Amino acid sequence: MLLQLRNIFKWVQQGGQRVFLLKDINLEVQEGEFISIMGPSGSGKSTLLNVIGMLDTFDEGEYDFLNESVHTLKEKYRSNLYKEYIGFVFQSYHLLDDLTVEENLEMPLLYKKIKGSERKALVADMLDRFNIVGKKDLFPTQLSGGQQQLVGVARALIANPKLILADEPTGNLNSQQSEEIMQLFKKLNEEEGVTIIQVTHSEKNAEYGSRIINLLDGRQI
Amino acid sequence: MFKNYLKIAWRSLKKQAFFTFLNTFGLAIGMAGALIISLYIYDELSYDKMFANADRIYRIDSDIKFGGAEIKAGEAAAPMAETLKRDYPQVEAAVRFRTIGSAYVKKVGGNRSAKENHITYADSTVFEFFGIDLLAGDAKTALTGTNSLVLTKTAAEKHFGSTDVIGQNLLLDNTDTYTVTGVIEDMPKNSYFNDYSVFLAMAGNVASREDNWGGNNYFTFIKLIPGAKAEDFQEPLQGMLERYMLPWSQKYFPGMTAESFAASGNYIRYHTMPLTDIHLHSDKNSEMSATSSIQNIYILSFIGLFLIILASVNFMNLSTAHSLKRAKEVGVRKTLGSNKLNLVFQFLTESGLIAFVSLLAALLITLVVLPFFNSFTGKSIEIPFTQPLFWFALLGATMLLGLLSGSYPAFFMSRFTPVKTLKGNSSESVGNGRVRNALVIFQFSISVFLIISTLVVFQQLNYIQNKDLGFSKDQVLLINELGALGSKTKAFKEQIANMGFVESATLSNYYPTPSWRSDTSFFEEGSRDQESAIQMQEWDVDTDYLKTMEMELVAGRDFNPAYTSDSTAIIINEATLPILNVTAEEALGMRISEEIDQENPTYYTIIGVVKDFHYRTLRTNIDALGMHLNSNAQNMAVRMSGGNYADNIAAIENTWNTMAPGQPFDYRFMDEAFNTTYEAEQKLSQIFFIFTMLSIFIACLGLFGLAAFNAEKRTKEIGVRKVLGATVSQISYRLTVDFLKLVGVAILISLPVGWYVMNKWLEDFSYRIEIGVGVFLLAAVLAIIVAILTVSYQSIKAAIVNPVKSLRSE
Ligand SMILES: Nc1ncnc2c1ncn2[C@@H]1O[C@H](COP(=O)(O)OP(=O)(O)OP(=O)(O)O)[C@@H](O)[C@H]1O
Ligand SMILES: [Mg+2]
Repeated sequence: MLLQLRNIFKWVQQGGQRVFLLKDINLEVQEGEFISIMGPSGSGKSTLLNVIGMLDTFDEGEYDFLNESVHTLKEKYRSNLYKEYIGFVFQSYHLLDDLTVEENLEMPLLYKKIKGSERKALVADMLDRFNIVGKKDLFPTQLSGGQQQLVGVARALIANPKLILADEPTGNLNSQQSEEIMQLFKKLNEEEGVTIIQVTHSEKNAEYGSRIINLLDGRQI
Repeated sequence: MFKNYLKIAWRSLKKQAFFTFLNTFGLAIGMAGALIISLYIYDELSYDKMFANADRIYRIDSDIKFGGAEIKAGEAAAPMAETLKRDYPQVEAAVRFRTIGSAYVKKVGGNRSAKENHITYADSTVFEFFGIDLLAGDAKTALTGTNSLVLTKTAAEKHFGSTDVIGQNLLLDNTDTYTVTGVIEDMPKNSYFNDYSVFLAMAGNVASREDNWGGNNYFTFIKLIPGAKAEDFQEPLQGMLERYMLPWSQKYFPGMTAESFAASGNYIRYHTMPLTDIHLHSDKNSEMSATSSIQNIYILSFIGLFLIILASVNFMNLSTAHSLKRAKEVGVRKTLGSNKLNLVFQFLTESGLIAFVSLLAALLITLVVLPFFNSFTGKSIEIPFTQPLFWFALLGATMLLGLLSGSYPAFFMSRFTPVKTLKGNSSESVGNGRVRNALVIFQFSISVFLIISTLVVFQQLNYIQNKDLGFSKDQVLLINELGALGSKTKAFKEQIANMGFVESATLSNYYPTPSWRSDTSFFEEGSRDQESAIQMQEWDVDTDYLKTMEMELVAGRDFNPAYTSDSTAIIINEATLPILNVTAEEALGMRISEEIDQENPTYYTIIGVVKDFHYRTLRTNIDALGMHLNSNAQNMAVRMSGGNYADNIAAIENTWNTMAPGQPFDYRFMDEAFNTTYEAEQKLSQIFFIFTMLSIFIACLGLFGLAAFNAEKRTKEIGVRKVLGATVSQISYRLTVDFLKLVGVAILISLPVGWYVMNKWLEDFSYRIEIGVGVFLLAAVLAIIVAILTVSYQSIKAAIVNPVKSLRSE
């Protein structure tokens, strides 16, 4: 089992009142699953994904990742996980503005201490695969929203993660691009056993997954 | 990875060019200031270390209290050197100097004489003792002959145009002929003897061979054998008192024993002063050349440290303020697998880069500034480019600085949690700025403290310069070296006194321009008791002295040329009265003498009491003084009533040239002579001033950056406010007032500290100002004005931006 959430609650204090963002979430994910999280805007999808990705904390409940309680995970171990195991795709891309497309892609490899020649090859491969070779020397601010999203996805995939956490990875792409990405995810999932958890609004995209989790007001339905 | 850090560091620095510039500029200035100060201190600490076996060389000092006067002499009695060497095996060698001040030196047969300001007799072993090589002549024998002298290279070239001068003859003050027997390199600038250019053979100084333990006129240096400790030598040294000094003095004070001497409260304390400590630790009434004080070194070290701290605080402030912009980057990097250490390294690379660029800029600044600094301090400090140790220290210090000032921002930023920073500009990520505020307060506390110090130093100097000294030093010309006139001195005075622009003129060797003169013991008529000796200054003056100096009498009368009996009259100052235990009126008619032990002592009758006037620096009290008539004067003071100084001086010089043809006319203004006494304080005040400006500048640079950051952070808020109808002045007020609160706190902190420290400094002066409220008010107002000027530019700039612009740029 890859990860397991048991009775997870998350709340914020607002005007002396608890506002619940997540309510009693129970979720088990096996390695090799392809899960889609769906729900209306504001229902807590990103929040849940952040908790799963250990970017955000929760207030109650148990969360085990690879059979270790997340509570007891050391910061160092966590950053190792990010480096070796997990790839993030953010709803708002979060590319590094100071770096070019090429350098953004290279970044995770640097942290992984992959050798220069190999890095170059991997980056070139990604650029090629996502059809953005011509943009490699541009800075994120010089790209369109869709292009930025492509770079974001490419960056998440480049280090060969075992788990991909993607928050609306195709929100800004046209339907053809969107489909290509989904195909890619599917391929990774089926051929390489990569676990994928994606947030999506699109029924069609959700179809690619093996399981759908529906959220409403922070609660699983 | 490191290359990557470097690349990214460079990019993000370039992107925030303005802040990078502020950071670099501030650091560079701070570093340059600290570098110059360090070089200066290094030079000060290097004094006299170049002499052979300098660590074994000591000077014999004598602290003396006798008859109410206390003297701290850097000199010892003439027989001291020889006796120590003879009596104590641990004394390997001893050498003496007897300084004679300045003299006019002329090549025999030449017609042009030039002044040498620092001339001294020296024992013939001097060169061997200090390990000084002779460029020409024989070190062992050069100073053995009676009329031989050794010149420095510069002096030789000055008088002969060459250094090949062995056997040439020189005339000193037109009277004594000397043969040049040696030439040495100029004395090292960072040595106690640096000013000395002419060394006369001690053989020509008769008194040096007399068995006189009473006068202390010989700068005496001893060299201890290797392994001998100075501590262990203090007791033997003090033994000289009982073995030689007291037996000798019984000739004059029969029956004086060690017990009676000590019981009377008098003392003579001999001790050793390490040669290498003299420059910074010796504080004697007489020194061979001006010394500095370790206190200045401390003050300067503090200032240097302040500068660096201020600059690095700037760095921290600007970097953490900027973390808002960097927060997202930190978050993203963490999700990509960067751990805290990676981030810390990355930020440290940035600060390191800035530190090194600043170092280059600082070196450039130093290179430009050093010549000015040198001419100001009279030193010849250079950047020791060729010394590996210098680079080692410099690079090490820079690295340390980069690390220190980078570490806080680095650890601060690397702790950001990804979700907070990724969710947008959460203000939590930059903290609430408490640390930043504390740092601003810290910076301004230092600045305000420095402002207070500067003001107090300036006020004290101003006070000294304008204090009622008991005489008038303005419009008085001092003419020296009247010896050149021979017998025509009196006639010269008459001629000058009769000039239209001259109010009066006086002949005397004694003027109330501070300089050290030893006291003479006087005794009241009928008293032979040495306990009641009156230690007082004995000044030779003429009948026009009081008039010319504009001194006031509080009782009695001035000297009168018509009374022949005035040749044995004396005028005392008020400070003498308590010693005589009489009032001014009662003192009149009393008789005192210095020759109490002789058959028929000459008595001086007190005819007047002059109001106390300051004849030493204002650091010391006014002590007893008496003046009587004597016509052997080498100097003349001329009080002018006005007119064009240049014309007046030309007229006097004309007269001089007709009466003493070919002799140099040497004069200076009395107020200038007076001011040189306070040169040290003046320099200190200027140094204070410069570095205060620097530190305020650096602090302002930081404040400026913070204000810019603050305005930027609130662009959106400002835009919204404006749309809602806020005026420009309301907005800039809001932005400014936050910073002023910090400056206010800083002022509150620094006032008591400034008050305390500066009162300590003032304690050095016997005559000093009270620190008034005005100083603190002024310092506070200055700080506030500077802060307003700094901050308001940014505030106003932010406030006048078109709101549409600021709202769109999100
Ligand atoms: N720090 C916070 N404080 C208060 N409320 C918060 C906080 N973070 C999130 N929320 C609220 O939690 C809810 C869920 O937010 P979340 O971003 O998870 O929604 P989402 O399902 O991803 O929506 P979308 O489809 O629009 O991206 C929202 O109503 C949001 O306002
Ligand atoms: Mg969302």
